[in-house]
Amino acid sequence: MPFTADADMVKRAALSAIFLATLAVATAYTAAFLPGGAPAWANWLLAMGIAVALPATMVLGAERNGRIGKLAIPFAFVFLVIAGGFGLALALPASEGPGASLWFGLPVRAAIILYGIGLLPVLIVPVAYALTFDEMTLSEDDLERVRRAALALREQPKPEAPELVAAGGDR
Amino acid sequence: MALALLQAAELPRLTQPTITAVAVVYFGAVAVIGAWATRRTRTASDFFVAGEGIGLLALTLAAMSATLSGFAFIGGPGLVYTIGLGAMFLLLPASITNSMGAWVLAKRMRLLGEIRGLITVPDAIGVRYKSPLAQALSGIGILIAAIGYMGSQMLALGFVIDAIFGIGLGAGIWLGMGITLAYSVAGGIIAGIYTDVFQGILMAVSSVLVFLFTLRVGGGMDGISRTIMSVDAEFLGPWGKLTPIAALSFFFVFGLGSLGQPHVVHKFYMLRNPRHLKWYPLLVTLALLVSMLLYFGVGVAVKALVVEGRLAPLAAADNATPTFLLQFTPVLLAAIVFSGVAAAIMSTVNSFMNIGAAVVTHDLPTALGRPLRNELFWGRISTVVLSVAAALIAQYSGQLIAFLGIFGWGLFASTLVPALAIGLNWQGATRAGAVASISVGLGLTLVFGTLVDFLKLRSFPAGVTVSGLSLVASVLVFSWCPGSPRAGGGRHHSPMFAW
Repeated sequence: MPFTADADMVKRAALSAIFLATLAVATAYTAAFLPGGAPAWANWLLAMGIAVALPATMVLGAERNGRIGKLAIPFAFVFLVIAGGFGLALALPASEGPGASLWFGLPVRAAIILYGIGLLPVLIVPVAYALTFDEMTLSEDDLERVRRAALALREQPKPEAPELVAAGGDR
Repeated sequence: MALALLQAAELPRLTQPTITAVAVVYFGAVAVIGAWATRRTRTASDFFVAGEGIGLLALTLAAMSATLSGFAFIGGPGLVYTIGLGAMFLLLPASITNSMGAWVLAKRMRLLGEIRGLITVPDAIGVRYKSPLAQALSGIGILIAAIGYMGSQMLALGFVIDAIFGIGLGAGIWLGMGITLAYSVAGGIIAGIYTDVFQGILMAVSSVLVFLFTLRVGGGMDGISRTIMSVDAEFLGPWGKLTPIAALSFFFVFGLGSLGQPHVVHKFYMLRNPRHLKWYPLLVTLALLVSMLLYFGVGVAVKALVVEGRLAPLAAADNATPTFLLQFTPVLLAAIVFSGVAAAIMSTVNSFMNIGAAVVTHDLPTALGRPLRNELFWGRISTVVLSVAAALIAQYSGQLIAFLGIFGWGLFASTLVPALAIGLNWQGATRAGAVASISVGLGLTLVFGTLVDFLKLRSFPAGVTVSGLSLVASVLVFSWCPGSPRAGGGRHHSPMFAW
């Protein structure tokens, strides 16, 4: 079955978010050309653009039957970690120096960036991918349907046969 | 993320019997794998996509090895030593990008490959938009960037081989190219994949061991941080010595741009069972994190050692890893790491040889409506021709090689991310949008890259890069083209999106 209105809605929301996030990045880049260099708001704009663009791209790829189901949690988590991590790094006063307190061996803002953005998602995002794989990505049934459709395609004379419509089944 | 950046300076002399012997053993192992793979390479599908027959572990290690070049072991630690935490913004997106790539591309490309018999990334674009032009343009973008990358990597390999064997840079380039070419041309991507497995394990093990040494030598992470902050607080600030916008720009380009790296994406075609993708993001992310411990550890440890006066300030940042290894680790570990550096470079070169040859042999003839009859034979011939061309560029092009190495990542990202990553997931995307975004990405990267990075006729403000600008422009162009989502597209229901 082709796309439903709902499916379009989730995809459209993701695409609009990617577009707006890219526009935010473009604006930040443009602001860097201003005399005196990039103003402080350009850093925030770029940080938030990144925080929106990456999870929105994940939503675009993960959407199935017009929904993302439980994946909304890891995607929201990615947004919060990136937006929160970069936001804190930008907002917190500099505390690095000889007497600075350390978190796992790093000054606070560095620890937020390295451990928060660089490590924390590893514990959540790929695990979420694996745990939802059968339901949201590719079950045995899905694969069987695709393979049957591929077989049908090979047996048909025309290359533009509706092979993948059949393969979709639940879509 | 492909850290296929540059090693463009001479390394300290490493000609010690143990280091040389380990390197000889390593090259011997690669030769054995190449010979074994050659017997298994009988068709163009074997040559370009390993006959769709590799397992999860091989895919994981091959993707990791293709992603990491010698930069992760030599240039990267040097960059950390120079600009502090800012250098980590090239790596940080890896915590997310492999999962993102799996959701956006892995399943679709693997299934498309199976159903349509696709073997290249431009193939997917051509089929998606029913457009030979889009396939040809994306192929041209890949070819230009692949030759540039190969040239820069061969130069790096030349430096490493010269440092180990003391045979001179020119001979090092040709010896390194010859070894990589031998197994690539005979065994195709099968040889590449299984040498990558061997090389990937070597890289991961070396990285962990060296990281443990950095902690021991530096007095743990606490000791390293306190030593550095006593004289240079900015080094361990959140952006290091970069401006926030420069660090964030790295994150953006290496994050979103990861979806357009053909030498990694192309490997999705090769997986035997698409259901094995389930654990791929977790495994490859962990493998990358482990392999990049050296990048961070050596960079900060050498900085701390210099601050303490235990090491003289480095004459060149790229000396950070060799200096640390030769002075603070057992020679056998140093030898394994140096072989690991060669391994990292060779696996990246092999990937680029393969995708470059695929463009010449498959994509361009297909796009022109004149597919070649014996793609395996011509694939081998074009691998040789491209490799010789890249080696000549590495040896004789001077500053051009640095330029070519820098712009490759951005060229891949700006030409492929919208048309491939977004386009495969959005049926409203149009042929016009794909052609326009690929053309804009290609044109802007070449024009601005030439003006700004090569000829230095113009400069961008700190943080604004040619790669970033081109990527942004190509995404926006793709979004605004008639029929695309921003213009009310989505009415055309292609059967391709049924799964």
